[in-house]
Amino acid sequence: MPAGRGFRLPTLRLLLSGWPWFGLALLLLAIRLSKGAGFNDLYALASRPFWPGPAQSQWLREAQKLDQQSRLEQLETDNRRLRQLLSLQQRSGASISAAVIARPAEGWWQQLLLGKGSWQGVNSGAAVVAPGGLLGRIASVTPSTATVQLLTDPGSRVGVWIGRTKEHGLLVGMGTARPVLRFLDRDLRVRPGDLVTTSPASTLVPPNVTVGVVQRLDERAMPAPEAVVQLSAPINAVDWVQVLR
Amino acid sequence: MVDLWRRGWCLATGLAVPLLALAAPTWLQLDAVGPTWAVLWLLPWALVDGPMSGALVGAALGLLLDGLHPGPVTLLPALALLGWWWGRLGRSSAVGERSVSLALLALVGSLVLGGSVLLQLQLWHQLPESALQMLWAQTLITALLAPVVCSLELLFWRQLLPGGR
Repeated sequence: MPAGRGFRLPTLRLLLSGWPWFGLALLLLAIRLSKGAGFNDLYALASRPFWPGPAQSQWLREAQKLDQQSRLEQLETDNRRLRQLLSLQQRSGASISAAVIARPAEGWWQQLLLGKGSWQGVNSGAAVVAPGGLLGRIASVTPSTATVQLLTDPGSRVGVWIGRTKEHGLLVGMGTARPVLRFLDRDLRVRPGDLVTTSPASTLVPPNVTVGVVQRLDERAMPAPEAVVQLSAPINAVDWVQVLR
Repeated sequence: MVDLWRRGWCLATGLAVPLLALAAPTWLQLDAVGPTWAVLWLLPWALVDGPMSGALVGAALGLLLDGLHPGPVTLLPALALLGWWWGRLGRSSAVGERSVSLALLALVGSLVLGGSVLLQLQLWHQLPESALQMLWAQTLITALLAPVVCSLELLFWRQLLPGGR
């Protein structure tokens, strides 16, 4: 065996013929050092058609909606049962749809004229709601029309309730788009953004109907603090309303 | 009183007032407030037909309009007073033809009518926050429309009654 045959550097020819392997090795090294950069992106690109698509998110949303609906029904059943136990007024659920046929623009009175009256079963004092919440109450009825006194009318007074803080107040119309909520207590925990609903113990209007959201608070008002309420029902846009029986 | 009062159909044109108040055409509003249609109709009527007719028709119009809004506020006294005053003006002076005169009379009438409502609302603690703004907008739009609307009405009534002033 001939001695002296040690390690020999690869020749240039060998390097040239094996360059793809060197390239691959360098690529793998780069992937390793960059924690998968490039490779992960390539995988993402290749697997994009199999990602969870809108169908899956739609299923999830519908499942969530179903869950919320069933919870709402359950809560309403509970609410009815508890109200019955406490002998409080019930919301019958029956309502009459009526078209808004006039919107007098005199400005002194904030009112709507509806195209249904006593012949259709509309009674004076009934609450009127629109998509969004309470609009007002029926002030007067003729055989085929009814006049709604809006919550924004200066003569409107409705007892309301802030659910989060469990505080009562009186919603007073000011002749402008936003009525004022007058509180009975001086110590308030109400904040802008709180939801205003009709009082759960109300006898004049159905309980727990959404009214609006507290927009601004004036704690220095005398004799009690006041809040400006943004009504949730778009009064100027409604063409059809529901008169609750 | 000339003859307008006796012609039923002339009086029936007054029904246009509550109908227009209900219809509230949005293209005839200033700052979302419409004109005082009662003033625009009553002014030419009273100028042509005299103080007694003006007062009576004003009172009738007041009764009709009071039925359109809730609450205890009434337009009747102010409209009757305006009808009587315009009737006297129509008899005693040559107010008639000039557009500026009609606009001024309508402006004063709208101010008086709006002012009476404002005072009554104040009395009942139901005064809207924007009452003065509304009163001003209503007065302006009424005075702006008066030269056109009232002139045409005056012309119509006078053609109908050649003997009328």
